[in-house]
Amino acid sequence: MSERLKTAENLLLDLTAERWICERCEHDLGCARDNVKRGLLVAERDPREIHPPLIDGEFTFAPNPDWVRILEFYCPGCGTQIETEYLPPGHPITWTTQIDIDALKRRLASGELTIEHGHLKAGTP
Amino acid sequence: MSHPTVAEKLGALKVTPITPHEQRCLALVSRGAYEIALQRTADILDEGYEIFMRSSRSSMGVAGDSIVAMFNAHGDLVNASAGTYLHAIIPPIVIKYILKKYRDNPGIDDGDIFYTNDALYGGIHNPDQVAIMPVFFRGELVAWTAALSHTTETGACEPGGMPLSATSRFEEGMNLPPMKIGRNFRINNDIIELFAAFGIRAEANVTVDLKARCTTADRVRLRLVEMCEREGADFVTGLFRRMLIEAESGARKRLSTWPDGVYRCVTFSDAAGLTRGLIRNCAMTVTKHGDRLTIDFTGTSPENLSSYNAHPQAVVGHLANYIYEYVFHDLPVSSATFAPLDFIFPEASCLSPTPRAATSNSVMICTGAMSAIANCISRARFPSEEWQQTTASMGNGGNAPVIAGTSQWNMSFADMIAYTINTEGQGARCTCDGMDAYGFPWCAFGRAPDVESMENEFPMIVPFSQHWPDSGGHGRFRGGCGTVQFWGAHHVPLVFFMSIADNSSIQTPQPLFGGYAPPTVPGLCIEDTKITTLLATLGDKTLDFHALVRGEFGVLTTEPFGRATRPIEGDKTIAVLMSTGGAGYGDPLDRDPLSVQKDLLAGLCSPWSAREIYKVAWDAGLARVDLAATDAMRAEARRARLARGRPYAEFEAEWLTRRPPADILGLYGAWPDGQPLAPAFRP
Repeated sequence: MSERLKTAENLLLDLTAERWICERCEHDLGCARDNVKRGLLVAERDPREIHPPLIDGEFTFAPNPDWVRILEFYCPGCGTQIETEYLPPGHPITWTTQIDIDALKRRLASGELTIEHGHLKAGTP
Repeated sequence: MSHPTVAEKLGALKVTPITPHEQRCLALVSRGAYEIALQRTADILDEGYEIFMRSSRSSMGVAGDSIVAMFNAHGDLVNASAGTYLHAIIPPIVIKYILKKYRDNPGIDDGDIFYTNDALYGGIHNPDQVAIMPVFFRGELVAWTAALSHTTETGACEPGGMPLSATSRFEEGMNLPPMKIGRNFRINNDIIELFAAFGIRAEANVTVDLKARCTTADRVRLRLVEMCEREGADFVTGLFRRMLIEAESGARKRLSTWPDGVYRCVTFSDAAGLTRGLIRNCAMTVTKHGDRLTIDFTGTSPENLSSYNAHPQAVVGHLANYIYEYVFHDLPVSSATFAPLDFIFPEASCLSPTPRAATSNSVMICTGAMSAIANCISRARFPSEEWQQTTASMGNGGNAPVIAGTSQWNMSFADMIAYTINTEGQGARCTCDGMDAYGFPWCAFGRAPDVESMENEFPMIVPFSQHWPDSGGHGRFRGGCGTVQFWGAHHVPLVFFMSIADNSSIQTPQPLFGGYAPPTVPGLCIEDTKITTLLATLGDKTLDFHALVRGEFGVLTTEPFGRATRPIEGDKTIAVLMSTGGAGYGDPLDRDPLSVQKDLLAGLCSPWSAREIYKVAWDAGLARVDLAATDAMRAEARRARLARGRPYAEFEAEWLTRRPPADILGLYGAWPDGQPLAPAFRP
């Protein structure tokens, strides 16, 4: 049984070590019981750097930077962009994925679930 | 207080416990007979759906923004054909209310037609209306049928049924609680007159759609009576109960394969009606445990004095749009598939407002819930063996243009330009891009009408309609592109126009796993230009989005896309319409450079985005990508990320000291938790 679960594009959960791992470079991204974003580098982007204004005026196809900023979260090992979040300036950053590690381990141990090719599959308890 | 409480409405979504009679009837339904009869219900409903579209008059009905459904005798939904899945949530609430309140007076009899469009009593918003008929067989109530669709006129303070300026339910036109509108298989003439009176702006749409709903509900009723004659009423009773059991079993089995945990998403919008301001239109926490989901909206901004509020069952309906399209797509549309789902709504929030609230634009405030559920479920589902079905959110812009006036056929009309809203881009999928101009996130199977049909129906000319370049959110897989059109009044001096949106300063959907959201959507017009003159003098110019934004067809005015009713004079103004693209998935630097090349050649990606977002070396002269140079650009881009990225704790400490300007926080509630600061007073 593999001990690694693919939980997002470029993000692995090592169940044995209970660590987040970058799939691209194997960099350790921190404790899997914690918000993975805490193990990533963060950069704030003016939304106009990603969605450029195409016309003059207040409404330009670009989000207004007073209303929203783009937070980019990178793997510190390889610079892969693991997450992004569009937030008003100063809005708390979201803990988006909080997997119940203990429940998952119990279900894997009982055979209710197995991991095949990095993904959970219903087993035969 | 007569209208059902939030608890009663959410309770009505749960399947009624099996009765001893149903238990006995189950034994009549063998496995083989079940499979055949289950398909028969689908065939009946598909027949009804086709009849519904052919019988409807308004553009949303013709496009298939509708649902046809059948229910057991208790009012539990057992199957439906759609259309628009959000409608599936509504009838069980209404039928159970009728059974509870009207059994003795006015009574429930064979041939009765019931009707409602009031969100306070269980609807989505008052343009969404439902005709409901009981199915009697040999004097026994054995089932119910329903037909629901959106009619774009309700006699509100603005045309189109979704008034931006309404501040309470008293400005939203016709709001009918559940009521009996017909007996002995006929609609009462006084009721038709009532609809005509509320529908003066678009009498044909309003009255014909009313009849279409009733016709459709009756056709399904007739087919169920035939099924009872052929198989027996007890067989149908047993069949319906088995359908509920199987649907719930299938739903629980699916959910159980996902890892337990908590999944969160916050989304925002920039307006409530005509009042601009930042709103946390959804703060969603999904707790997945075993075979159950609890969806908690605590933290969503307070209710507001506009029509951008939604009663809780309308919010659940918007979740159904995503859930039936992506999660339970192979299960019956059924009350039972929602049995494992529970909901928590904060009182006096924009997703659970007080009774006097205006809710005719519930579909707009619910764009947050639609986007957040896609994000949360994709995060929960990706670790499972169903990972290939995870997607980024649709754009969920719903940038809806409404037009009204007197047509070239001298008929009053008020309707929505369904072509635009039916051509949004799909959210990126985790194995490929989202589909371009895929459809309407509220109505997965709706049909975008031909532009020629619109020009025949309405006094307008639409010479330009194409994919909107760069409108899909960037990513390893990009969101599908939306579309852009422009139109002018034609054959008449002017057309009244309004448009509904809340995404001109901030977009609602969050991207997935390192992608980007789609861009925001401005409200554009070309002023002092007559469309026929523009076409006559076009010369060698091509009608093209880039030429449009360069101002080659005239000076563009820009304002929020959501705009109050105003005249579009045929010899003065050309209106630009846009439908959003879907959100992006994954790191854009992981996108196959040849996919970028393909998009460049198709005009779906700009050279700027290829260079600045995807870091692709594009040789426009040779019309090809330089792969070696692209590798070098991407390596440099990753180094730049490492240089500008800061440790989380250090970043967060500084970030949390900031807040948006005070002048945009009037709708938000307390910063940052969104709690109400004061009650919403409505006279």
